Amino acid sequence: MINKNLIIYLSILIFGIVAPFVFPAFKVQLSILCVLIILAMTWNIQGGEMGYNSFGNILFYGLGMYLCASVQVGMFFPLAEWTESGGEKTFVHTPAEFFQGFAVGLAVAAVVPAIVAGLIGYSILGLRGHYFAICTLGLGVAAGEISGGIEIIGAGQGFTTPPFPNFGGLEARGEFFYFCSFVSLVLTFIVVKSIYSTRFKLVLNAIRDNEDKAEAMGIQTMKYKIIGWMISAFFCGLAGGIMGGLVGYIDSTDVAFDGREMGVFMVLMAILGGKGTLWGPIIGASVFHIFKEGFWTFFLGWQYVALGVLIVVIVIYFPEGIMGWLREKYPERFGEVVDEADRKAQVELK
Amino acid sequence: MKIKNIIITFFSAIALLLSTATVSFAKVVGDKIILGAAVSLTGKYSSNGVHTQNGYNMAVDRINSMGGIKVGGKTYKFDIIYYDDESNPKRAAQLAERLISQDKVEFMLGPYSSGLTKAMAPVTEKYGVPMVEANGASRSLFTKGYKYLFAVLAPANLYLDVAIRTAVELNGGKGVKIAQAFEQDAFSQDVRLGILDAAKETGSEIIIDDKLPKELNDMAATLVKVKQMKPDVLVVSGHTKGALTAIRQIAEMKVDVPMLAMTHCDAAKLSKQHGKNSQYALCASQWHKTLTYKDKWFKDGMTYDADFTKMFGYAPPYQAAESSAALLVFKDAFERANSFDQKKVRDALAATDMQTFYGNIKFAPGGQNVSKPMVLFQVICDSSGKCENKVVAPLKWASAKLIHPVPKWSER
Repeated sequence: MINKNLIIYLSILIFGIVAPFVFPAFKVQLSILCVLIILAMTWNIQGGEMGYNSFGNILFYGLGMYLCASVQVGMFFPLAEWTESGGEKTFVHTPAEFFQGFAVGLAVAAVVPAIVAGLIGYSILGLRGHYFAICTLGLGVAAGEISGGIEIIGAGQGFTTPPFPNFGGLEARGEFFYFCSFVSLVLTFIVVKSIYSTRFKLVLNAIRDNEDKAEAMGIQTMKYKIIGWMISAFFCGLAGGIMGGLVGYIDSTDVAFDGREMGVFMVLMAILGGKGTLWGPIIGASVFHIFKEGFWTFFLGWQYVALGVLIVVIVIYFPEGIMGWLREKYPERFGEVVDEADRKAQVELK
Repeated sequence: MKIKNIIITFFSAIALLLSTATVSFAKVVGDKIILGAAVSLTGKYSSNGVHTQNGYNMAVDRINSMGGIKVGGKTYKFDIIYYDDESNPKRAAQLAERLISQDKVEFMLGPYSSGLTKAMAPVTEKYGVPMVEANGASRSLFTKGYKYLFAVLAPANLYLDVAIRTAVELNGGKGVKIAQAFEQDAFSQDVRLGILDAAKETGSEIIIDDKLPKELNDMAATLVKVKQMKPDVLVVSGHTKGALTAIRQIAEMKVDVPMLAMTHCDAAKLSKQHGKNSQYALCASQWHKTLTYKDKWFKDGMTYDADFTKMFGYAPPYQAAESSAALLVFKDAFERANSFDQKKVRDALAATDMQTFYGNIKFAPGGQNVSKPMVLFQVICDSSGKCENKVVAPLKWASAKLIHPVPKWSER
């Protein structure tokens, strides 16, 4: 069994490594796919396993984006002059500066949102259900408006991230960002998979199923909720930092704190794939991305209508997501023992 | 563990899909020069995105029907691949990448708005794809050292500069009190910087300096302040929605201000939508049909106006005119370069010096057009309630006299 698993992981890993060379034209889409999967997987920790529907994870994504770019610029040049529009000076990063800055930027982009999540989590993770959802929704919106007023990061002007240096030819930029996002995805997968195989996940599930009972059994639910959110924030920040560099231009509400798109998409992808499963968000994100790109090409101008129809179809026909649907259809493939006689009896009873 | 099989099948399906989905266009197919463009067909810039697209299409039609482009003794026609950037910079950057690496486009037209142009420029620059853009005016576009970016329009900081200077002049050369409200986006914030510069130079004082949200449909808070503090000039910029919101609420709240200066009035079809309420508004414009520039494709502004109206059923705002001009610039550059080599075309673009119906075009090293001034028009209505945009500044083209100060609402 282990060997079989290993083969699957290895083949996905190899696919991931060769993909940008086999499909060079799709590097950007593949990088975005990786970022989307990271967002869906980390959202699933709250929304799926813990039962806390967060719309605020976009906060960490945006924060990571701004932090990474700011650090990358700030390490070598005065940040205020960089973002000031109409500045006459032109700053150019050397390749060494660019990569050093990006590496440090990514580290900051991951760690700071995690700390922020800890602080915010301490104060709002006491809320439950709809109250938590609305509160986190507010966080994302507020962050967008506030960052749109901070001059040093460009305010309404937006923030142009450092252009990729002249290094390694035309394809280098795409390959660099692809591998950044792919490595982050692998990292996220390993971390998420390993925490899902520990008691931690069981605690999260207990919180989802009945938080009061979990507490009564002596579990410090608050601690687990905060740690869970910090893990999500860490990887959301990382994904945001990479996305900032990939897009090349950060706008407060349209790119960074893009709750209307990314913030909703991450929820949608997790639900589409099947929340509360390891593979669900991954499949959901992939299917979603492919459909979105397809609609975009073939239904120009109507892509959101098509996307809307897709969402309606998902909600009606796959309320438990793709994984949930498969599980219902082929329970034995998920290792569930099915008593045929009993099953038939149930069907007949209906 | 059959679930693993499903996963394997799934990933192989993705792989298969990716490998078959590569549709490739070349830059020049047969007798067609294919240009790439991402414009906003949906989202907050959708109306201006459509003006941009119509402008492009009109010029493509005209150039193709008048003999096309002659390169190396052969005649070519223009064709454009469009995508919808959804008014979103992230999408715009992706689309630039997609047009270049998947559709193999080697020449690009710009999107609508400064923010989206800012997002696309790093990509086109990286691949050395010449981009002639007609709707990204933010000054910071031209200070990043981009070599392949050319803008046929005057930079954003000049938009309302004239208005402030005119107000100061009418005030006997003394500084004026300015109230301003700008949308939080790249373009409007740049217009704001232009006003700050003008205020500094003329010794004017800025007494209200508000920011408006991107989904702009209310600016009552600013207008209440304007009522209280009585500035000499009120400056508003927030694309089409900003212009419409300002006029609607100024009329509703009966705000009296001696001078109201805005951007995007003609794209918003202000005089059509708000009739007499929009009267006396001063609007910055890149182009106006009464200007006397000429070229051989569209003849002049009036003819362009008539032809465009016939083709699309509405009068062309300057966003359409400048978009049409972008194609004239491309045609001219292709013919002078006499080649499809990107570098040669780029050099030809840099050396552009021509007149179009839209204005003179000559690029500074930064890529902005330096030989075309902005014009200022005022919405003026006759007694029957028919409103028209009349150029009032600069004096060279003025077809009407500026009405200043704006009459109070109680006297209208």
